[in-house]
Amino acid sequence: MEFRLKNELEEIRLLAEAIELWGEENGIPGKTLFQLNLALDELLTNTITYGYPEGGEHEIMLRLIPEGEKELLIEIRDDGLAFNPLEVKAPDLKQDIEERPIGGLGIHLVRQMLDELEYRRENGQNILLMRKKY
Amino acid sequence: MDINEMKKDKATVITIEGRLDSSTSGILEKKLLSLMDTGEKNFLLDFSGMDYISSAGLRVLLMVAKKSKTAKGKVLLSALTDNVKEVFDIAGFTDIFTIFATAEEALKDF
Repeated sequence: MEFRLKNELEEIRLLAEAIELWGEENGIPGKTLFQLNLALDELLTNTITYGYPEGGEHEIMLRLIPEGEKELLIEIRDDGLAFNPLEVKAPDLKQDIEERPIGGLGIHLVRQMLDELEYRRENGQNILLMRKKY
Repeated sequence: MDINEMKKDKATVITIEGRLDSSTSGILEKKLLSLMDTGEKNFLLDFSGMDYISSAGLRVLLMVAKKSKTAKGKVLLSALTDNVKEVFDIAGFTDIFTIFATAEEALKDF
């Protein structure tokens, strides 16, 4: 399936609903869909919140392709500021409430929810290729 | 997302329904901050009707927990659904928050 989003946070919920519907039709387990939607939410929230400091309407493209028996290939393309999620440092989860920095958990969730994550910058676009097994 | 607020003897109970994500977490943040401004420092956040949380929601929870701790108050949580529990586990939040199975149980702890 293919989905185009505007750079507005409310669009993420619509994408999640579309993926759930598509997933149910294609026999993908609910747990997998939840984990995939969480990862996409985190990545898209970052792009929409920080990717377009100059504002204006932009389009983010997402493709979801079943691969083999039990794997999904997901691609996101956006024309926001260059951002490589693989360069984000992992948070220290052992810290107590007082020491924990506010924020910094989003990309950690993405990494835990997906099986593979690849990033490249090409022609002014961020391209993320992801794999999710189930 | 819907937020319901109920003042009890020792705490304010906030019930959250639906999705706590980047487009809704700001509403919860404002609600909690305005209650803290009125002097409230004890909160029970009941998640029985909340089926989704992202890092934007976790951020608000950590913020209120920090502020309440500074004010010598308590933030307790109850009734995490499976998906929310999974996010809590991965974020290391299960260890830093006090979580009860039901709101009734949590209220006895204030």
